[in-house]
Amino acid sequence: MSEESGPVGGEQSGAVATASPQARALLVSPEGLVPRPRDVGGARRLVPTLRLLYRQASANFAALLLVAIALAVVAVFHNGGLTLMGQQIRNALVLGAIYALVAIGYTMVYGIIELINFAHGDVFTLSGFYAIIFADRLHLDQLSTKGFGGLILALAILFVMSMIAAGLTGMAIERVAYRRLRDAPRLAPLITAIGVSFLIEGFMLVFFGPDNVATHKATWITGQAFSLGGISVGWKDIFVVGMALLLMFGLGAFVRTTRLGKAMRSTAQDRAAALLCGININRTISVTFFIGSALAAAAAIIYSINYGDLKWNLGFRLGIIAFTAAVLGGIGNIVGAGIGGFLIGIIYVFGGSLAGGEWSEALIFAVLVLILTFKPVGLFGVDVASRA
Amino acid sequence: MHRTAASLSFAAIAGLGLVSACGTSTGTSSSSGGAGLAGCHGTITVATDLPLTGGDATDGPFPQMAAALAVEQANTAKTLGGCTLKYVSKDDSSVLKNGHDPAQGAQNITALASDPSVVGVVGPFNSSVALAEIPKATANHLALISPSNTNPCLTAVVAVCSDPTIKIDTASLYQGPHTYFRVIASDVQQGEILAFIASHELMKTKAYVIDDQEAYGRGLALLFAKYFAADGGTVVTQTSLPGSTTTFATQMSDAQSKGADIIFFGGTTGNGCGLVRRDMGAAGLTIPLLGGDGCQDTKFITDANSGANTSEAEGAQATSAPDVTKLSSSAKLFTDYAARYASLPAPYNDGTKEPYTAYGYDAMNILIQAIKAVITNNGNQPPSDSMAFRDAVVAQLHNTSYDGALGHTGFDSNGDTTNTGFTLYKVVSGAWTGVHTYAVDTSGNVSVKS
Repeated sequence: MSEESGPVGGEQSGAVATASPQARALLVSPEGLVPRPRDVGGARRLVPTLRLLYRQASANFAALLLVAIALAVVAVFHNGGLTLMGQQIRNALVLGAIYALVAIGYTMVYGIIELINFAHGDVFTLSGFYAIIFADRLHLDQLSTKGFGGLILALAILFVMSMIAAGLTGMAIERVAYRRLRDAPRLAPLITAIGVSFLIEGFMLVFFGPDNVATHKATWITGQAFSLGGISVGWKDIFVVGMALLLMFGLGAFVRTTRLGKAMRSTAQDRAAALLCGININRTISVTFFIGSALAAAAAIIYSINYGDLKWNLGFRLGIIAFTAAVLGGIGNIVGAGIGGFLIGIIYVFGGSLAGGEWSEALIFAVLVLILTFKPVGLFGVDVASRA
Repeated sequence: MHRTAASLSFAAIAGLGLVSACGTSTGTSSSSGGAGLAGCHGTITVATDLPLTGGDATDGPFPQMAAALAVEQANTAKTLGGCTLKYVSKDDSSVLKNGHDPAQGAQNITALASDPSVVGVVGPFNSSVALAEIPKATANHLALISPSNTNPCLTAVVAVCSDPTIKIDTASLYQGPHTYFRVIASDVQQGEILAFIASHELMKTKAYVIDDQEAYGRGLALLFAKYFAADGGTVVTQTSLPGSTTTFATQMSDAQSKGADIIFFGGTTGNGCGLVRRDMGAAGLTIPLLGGDGCQDTKFITDANSGANTSEAEGAQATSAPDVTKLSSSAKLFTDYAARYASLPAPYNDGTKEPYTAYGYDAMNILIQAIKAVITNNGNQPPSDSMAFRDAVVAQLHNTSYDGALGHTGFDSNGDTTNTGFTLYKVVSGAWTGVHTYAVDTSGNVSVKS
């Protein structure tokens, strides 16, 4: 019944002045205090209509988004045919794979301790620099040129070492900066995360310089895998998307089947109950940070192989976009983050192709605002209220 | 009577002697430090405001060190006689922008202007910084000579100045007398020359134009587009991307789809010029890349070669200030520079590695020459009033007729140089090599100078 807002105190004076005679009669008379939606002026119908629209948009957000994306894809097809559409899909998947891996790190940390780890994007960049150092010290660049076996070995060594190094970095950050603030008001760890972000960026700026740093990895995987009507798909593209999917499914399996995975899920669901069940909360959270940062390292290596150079401030922007992907998918939901990453990649590329490169980032953040307005839990998120 | 006459004549002779003793000899020699200037007292401060760190660290230090060298040489040769020149170097880059920062530049000029001994500044390097600095400089009557700003709207109103993304109100920049000058030709000429190269030299008809959303890059891209269209070409797309963009894959696919036969990038290397070239290689585009003077530096080559194709930079073309190293007038500068800065790591020990070295040198020397003229006209003393000194320096700058490393330089009423022309460079064997130098006359006809 009380969907419509009846005339209340402060609103009356303005409302009285502008309302129709019928409305005014209702407003000033005692009976007017009881809302009568049927006879009021047009202005009064606006709010309920908006509310209805809002509800519809929220309920169907996923569908609306997919329709919008489909329209964009069709528009690009119209502009440039199958070739352009195919090329942009390829570009979108490659970009989306990187965003997906970084977004998973954000979502895992948020799911377990409800912290938006702003330093995550910088851990991504930092692990890219770790990879440069490892490849340099262990002569992996040379190893990668020694046939297919050499390449696989070089990649394996690089991935394992960088992921471990990044994982340890993530664990260290959690231990030093976030653990003490676990029960502090939410703003405190958030500000700390921003502080850690600046710290890492400063460190990279000092040690690696302000310019693009060549990673020498863009030459590791080259060559065209196949060509479909003008769309050239390289081995690199297959590697990027394939590796990302492999890691995501691997993580999914880990979370579903292992004890640690179960511990992570239960800690995310209800920390007190998990503690009561005998789960070591500190260890579980440390593992979460380790895995999230390791995935960021994998993303950084994939980024280096695909693009070739890194810059100290790369993680900042990429991190915010990956965070948007995590929110889009439903923050706290790993599958959502993965899918969100690919969706953001599509929005970025197709938006840029249609509206011009200057709109790519604007569209991403518009999507962020829309998601937070209409469906804050994200596409795959569970309504927090219902959990309690 | 006798005594009076005698004392009178004595006084006259003594007076004459006194006058000749402490009076200055009128215009003895035009070489540095005429005998009269020896009596000059005081320290005059000149400064540079250039981006020295961050993403511009391969650009700013060269003209800065050349300007510092000019001051040192002036002091050694006693150009100002008994007066000495003090040199202050300001850095207009910030960590936030990872390079030139207009806010930092404005702060620097305000600080320099508040120091009464500062009479002139060489800088800034970037047009976007000039937008912030010119109002401050003109409000304080401080001379500002740029070695490299090419945005035309800084000195005169041109059609592109009202473009919504540029929106430079030239008149509002000048909060006082016109104290801004530049020793390099503006982007109007650079745009005309670039369009000529694209349409007549490279014979291309469909250009895909990208700019970096900054005053310089956007202005140059728009001017190129305008003159390219006037030459009969078609601009298939005009797009802007922020300087922080790390991948241009989307744009390369679009360019391929639209059948573009040349890609033009208006902007600096720090904002992605080399990355565009790298991504052209990744997309398999073999069409030429053409850029302006913001792309013509060593970092472009490093960035372009950082992808899968380590020689992707080969064949990329960009115009820049004319190859000063080829001029006989600049030989001495580069010898002096190499001798003075031999202890620095490469490439900073070689002035020829960056196009603006000679521009910074001449800009500072022009300033010093103007200061000397002011002092000479003021009885061989620097004017005591700081504002009057600055005004006098600006007045002298308007009358500049200087022969230096760049050849002959003068300024027109807008502060633009009369020494115009741009050189086309191409990446050959991993280094920028000059191809041709072009000049354009006032009716827009481009000709090959050499």
